[in-house]
Amino acid sequence: MMRVVSAQNTEKLAFAGLWLCAAIVILPVLGIIVVLAWRGASALSWDLIGGGPHSLLAPIVGTILLVALTGLIAAPLGVAAAVYLSEYSRGGTLVRLIRLAIVNLAGVPSVVYGLFGLALFVVLFQFGRSLLAGACTLALLVLPLVISTSEEALRQVPGSLRHASLALGASQWQTVRRVVLPNALPGIITGLILSIGRAAGETAPILFTAAFYSLTDPFPNSLLDPILVLPYQLFVMTTEVPNVAPATKWATAFVLLAIVLGMNLVAVILRARLRGSRRW
Amino acid sequence: MPDSQPENILRPPGEIKLETKDLDMYYGNFQALTNVSIAMPSRRITALIGPSGCGKSSFLRCLNRMNDVIEQARVDGQVLLDGRDIYSEDTDVVALRKRVGMVFQRPNPFPMSIYENVAYGPRLHTTARGAELDEIVERSLHAAALWDEVKDKLPQTATDLSGGQQQRLCIARVLAVEPEVVLMDEPCSALDPTATFRIEELMTELMENYTIVIVTHNMYQASRVSQYTGFFLMGEMIEYNHTEQIFENPADKRTDDYVRGRFG
Repeated sequence: MMRVVSAQNTEKLAFAGLWLCAAIVILPVLGIIVVLAWRGASALSWDLIGGGPHSLLAPIVGTILLVALTGLIAAPLGVAAAVYLSEYSRGGTLVRLIRLAIVNLAGVPSVVYGLFGLALFVVLFQFGRSLLAGACTLALLVLPLVISTSEEALRQVPGSLRHASLALGASQWQTVRRVVLPNALPGIITGLILSIGRAAGETAPILFTAAFYSLTDPFPNSLLDPILVLPYQLFVMTTEVPNVAPATKWATAFVLLAIVLGMNLVAVILRARLRGSRRW
Repeated sequence: MPDSQPENILRPPGEIKLETKDLDMYYGNFQALTNVSIAMPSRRITALIGPSGCGKSSFLRCLNRMNDVIEQARVDGQVLLDGRDIYSEDTDVVALRKRVGMVFQRPNPFPMSIYENVAYGPRLHTTARGAELDEIVERSLHAAALWDEVKDKLPQTATDLSGGQQQRLCIARVLAVEPEVVLMDEPCSALDPTATFRIEELMTELMENYTIVIVTHNMYQASRVSQYTGFFLMGEMIEYNHTEQIFENPADKRTDDYVRGRFG
């Protein structure tokens, strides 16, 4: 009898401990949002995207352009690589090398991506400090994430569907295109949005490759123009420009966070929607 | 390794559709099939029986080269379809699988509509679209004895059908490609008795136009539907003969033990 009671107590203790740890995970997220909203609220008005000297319109537009272009570059590359690894490769040295490269790419600090992007895209390819160079650099940064989430999504598609297709005389490519990819798409898109959402908040990779600070000519006219972006805007406002109202900085941070969380939310909703319609 | 015993391997009379000669198969270092040589007659049902792991499913997958999909699987010997070796260099595997269709153990409809499942093969292999494609879909569903049950819900998702209906849909999907041979890998093992009965009825109907090879765990099923039966044990073909012969008067003691339920 004693043992049973003590087992129950241990169970309660374990439950409480685990619950606490899980709750602690939520705290920073909630904390960041609440603090930013509260501090930024007073500056959060339509004036922010209006004409003022610290208007966020250009940085918001720049961030969206940068993120979209990053996605356009990273998606085909990453998904194609994932399809190769998951559907075509049969092990071997090359595949092991590719996987090793992906793992290592994921571990490279983001500032190194920035310097690499500067050397390769800005200088060597002569893109200059530009939207294009920044998007290429960010695409490299998110590529490992896009590949691994896409591969995971592809692996979720049951092998029996591939076999059914092959046994009907479909080629490998027809099987991939008509059966595997459509069924993996929800997972791939979700992974893509989450990966790119992460890129939206990165500062170091765009520091040398895309971002600039300008009050006179903030909008890019071509892919080869530099852009204002929220993370860099925030960085400059806090370190270099005097006399910026603190509330403006808070508001900028809040808008940046809202964009990133918004993208995550879209990904989560999309996943729930698309998952619901698929069963096997 | 003892040789397979040729005296217990019948060569059926009439036209031979599929034939294996000294077929060996390996998964890495494991030998799954040893020296299997049997001839499967045209427009008949050949059943392959044997205990789990005896190699009968591996053998079946040699016949449409589905083993190619499995890493480390390797095949030696010949598989002749209408006298031509399907393992020869110049074989187009895609064309082969169009001629030799396969129904799997578990129903595996695509998560698409009933219509799209059946239309999948014809869309790949023919230019039929619109009314012409509708016609193929209807004909295939009729042939698989499923039309009356699904004719009003063709746009619905195939995965909403019952297990037995799903399996008949998979058969319809194979028939839509107009194969010459249909391989069935324990097609009823996931189905209830009623659904099993319907599939067995269907097989007998299909025999008029197709050569059928079925792997089954169920000896009663083999005796009910097939004309020829082969008994596999440990990767070898122990005995191959008319189905009645195998079940009523087998030549090999091991066959006798198995069909009388003494092991396996």
